[in-house]
Amino acid sequence: MTVVADCALDMRGISKTFPGVKALSNVNFAVKFGTVHAVVGENGAGKSTLMKVLNGSYAPTSGTIKVGGNEVRMRKPADAQALGIRMVHQEINLVPDLTVAENVYLGRMPGKWTWLRKGEMIRKAAAVLKELGAAINPRERLGNLSISQQQLVEIAKAYAAQPRIIVLDEPTSSLSEHETAALFRILRKMRGEGIAIIYISHRLKEVLEIADEVTVLREGSMIETRPIEGITAAEMIRLMVGREVSNVFPKSPAEIGASVLRVERIGDGASFRDVSFDVRAGEILGLTGLVGAGRTEVARAVFGLSRLVEGSVSVNGRKVVINSPSEAVRAGIAYVPEDRKGDGIVPGMSVRENISLPILRRLTSFGRIRRSADRSLSAIYVKQFSISPPDGERRINLLSGGNQQKAVIAKWLAAKPAVLILDEPTRGVDVGAKAEIHHIIGQLVADGMAVVMISSELPEILGVCDRVVVMRDGRASAPLTRAELSEERIMALATGEEAA
Amino acid sequence: MEISGVNRNDRFTRGSRLVDMLSKAGLVLAILAVVLYGSFASPAFFTAGNLLNVLTSMSIVGIVVVGMTFVLVVGGLADLSVPATIACGAILSLGLQPLIGPVPAFALAVALAGLIGLLNGVLVGYVGINPIIATLGVGTIGLGIVQAAVGGVIVYGSNTASAEFAKGRLLGIPVVVLIFLAIALIGHFVLSRSFWGRWTLATGGNYSAAEASAVPVKAVKAGAFVITALASGISGGLLGLTLQSARPLIGSGYEFSAITAVVVGGVSIIGGFGSVPRAVAGLVFVQLLTNVMVLQGVRTPVQGFVLGILIVGAVGMDAALRKRGVA
Repeated sequence: MTVVADCALDMRGISKTFPGVKALSNVNFAVKFGTVHAVVGENGAGKSTLMKVLNGSYAPTSGTIKVGGNEVRMRKPADAQALGIRMVHQEINLVPDLTVAENVYLGRMPGKWTWLRKGEMIRKAAAVLKELGAAINPRERLGNLSISQQQLVEIAKAYAAQPRIIVLDEPTSSLSEHETAALFRILRKMRGEGIAIIYISHRLKEVLEIADEVTVLREGSMIETRPIEGITAAEMIRLMVGREVSNVFPKSPAEIGASVLRVERIGDGASFRDVSFDVRAGEILGLTGLVGAGRTEVARAVFGLSRLVEGSVSVNGRKVVINSPSEAVRAGIAYVPEDRKGDGIVPGMSVRENISLPILRRLTSFGRIRRSADRSLSAIYVKQFSISPPDGERRINLLSGGNQQKAVIAKWLAAKPAVLILDEPTRGVDVGAKAEIHHIIGQLVADGMAVVMISSELPEILGVCDRVVVMRDGRASAPLTRAELSEERIMALATGEEAA
Repeated sequence: MEISGVNRNDRFTRGSRLVDMLSKAGLVLAILAVVLYGSFASPAFFTAGNLLNVLTSMSIVGIVVVGMTFVLVVGGLADLSVPATIACGAILSLGLQPLIGPVPAFALAVALAGLIGLLNGVLVGYVGINPIIATLGVGTIGLGIVQAAVGGVIVYGSNTASAEFAKGRLLGIPVVVLIFLAIALIGHFVLSRSFWGRWTLATGGNYSAAEASAVPVKAVKAGAFVITALASGISGGLLGLTLQSARPLIGSGYEFSAITAVVVGGVSIIGGFGSVPRAVAGLVFVQLLTNVMVLQGVRTPVQGFVLGILIVGAVGMDAALRKRGVA
């Protein structure tokens, strides 16, 4: 497709590299005025990165961007806004203590450099809201609105800026079906006014309903752009996953024993409910689903980092009540968190000090840490996991991501847990370290440990796990056995679209 | 991949080791410089009498400094209730003497100061109130209660034996100094060698990670405030016994002196890094500098000016080092 007059956005050959990772490679992406253009892809396919490039948050490593036919160079989000590009993020990005009108005109309030013209602002906000068919009082404090109303305010804010291009990132994730229908009316109205709408969603049914064109991204590459006519949900899923699953994640066969961890109908009253699964000795249970489906919340609650309001947890057949991580450790549960930097490591401390942290009391006599016990503990794991460089005294934040992750796993093995929950254990580590971590996990189950592995990466889930539970919107599917596993099946469960 | 990784790490470590050495040796050099300058500039400086005086007055703040180190390391910013806990220690250990005798009076005074610290700790660690606000509020309440209890006037000592003890010397060294050294040693041991100290460093270094590592983070955070309050209680009790009188405002300014010493010693204001020897070195430096300034006849406003610059410089350096070291 060459540059045509009605082309709102034309991104060509966009690549974006981060140290060690190629997030986007040579992506072409064009959107016409007056159309809704959907972007779909798995977690980590590059959707957010592409939108951040469009938004001016990231400068592309290479490639050109044309907006309305003119080549542009954006250094910061304000540049994108000046060009008429507006983003509506998945998370609400508003100030709860300001009024609706103030939020709509935040940063662009009438009367810059002079007294604020409040009446004018409220009038204009009311007009915009009315135009969008939203029954919201512009004088209301934003925080008093429901999440879906706040979402509408977010859209009104973007719309009030009279944009040429609007990007909506998962706009329906907090909306009911009825509210979604209302949103679609708004989108059709904006489309009728000639605005180019980029619509990012995991919900393929909605994509089929609202979009004119769809672009599929996979592993940082543009796979295909097609008109929506003649494409099916099943076909989109095939394009999204579409790779050959090679056996790069060999699981050493382990003998599967009795059930170790069993959770029954647990819920936290907010992000998940009625979740049940069990994991047996020598087994790796995969827990997958889209980001935000509630996987991490389940793990954190089981580990005592947040509260369960319903359901029961039992370890080795014994019911346990867990209110804090130390109680979880005592019950035999360990958890390697998703956010390594935020929850995994204490950056100023050495590898040794990090490894011994959970079981420090056992290395202590009369309050004093026994140095030799402390040292030999870390020496064992540094050697066993070939942590590089092999020096327990090194500050942990000076290690590579993969080696930090190995140390975080080691920290929990010292506690000799019955069940180990790993949350995205290989995210952000390079291929070599990834294989090593999988090897370590394989050894652990071979020794009879039960492992729950949370991962968004389907090849990893398919390669490593014995059974897989798929979560969607806080609910868990029945476990799939190896024989039932396929990427298409998992994506269908995760998105709620039954593939053919 | 492996090789480049190692190289990169080496460069980083070498850099941080150099910085680490500089920041440790820097303070020692600064102390030596002050001593050297003081000796040349004022004949009164390098005399046993003057140095012993500095040491004694330093010891009272020093006991607070040991506690305050825990508060900063655990990421608790600062304890502003120190004037109240010092007053509690001083007023009660003197005021209760006629009623229950000097030793129980001292013990009860310290215990009650510890109770104020427990309140601080619960508010900061468990309720999650900003430490500055919590300790300011609790300090004000505590001071009010202590004042009300003694009727808001000056309390005088009535037991000569305890006064003699507090002002006395052992092997030529003032008892107060010995008590400070003992407390500093215990504090150093707890922070650097015990599981509690490791927990304190971990909680200050990364609260979420410590929590996810089964460290009882709330208790550890609260504990730092209890430790500070106990230390200030002891410090206040000793101050009362040496002066043999105690006003409700006896402890004002000590919180500032203690924070200054800890921060100048290079203990991170954001938490996760620091040790008692560092804080004590900061204290020695600040006290000697102040002493030299006094002997030189530097006017009080100028002294304040110098100390202010020291604090801003130390905190600025901490921020700069953090940016390079941890990011």
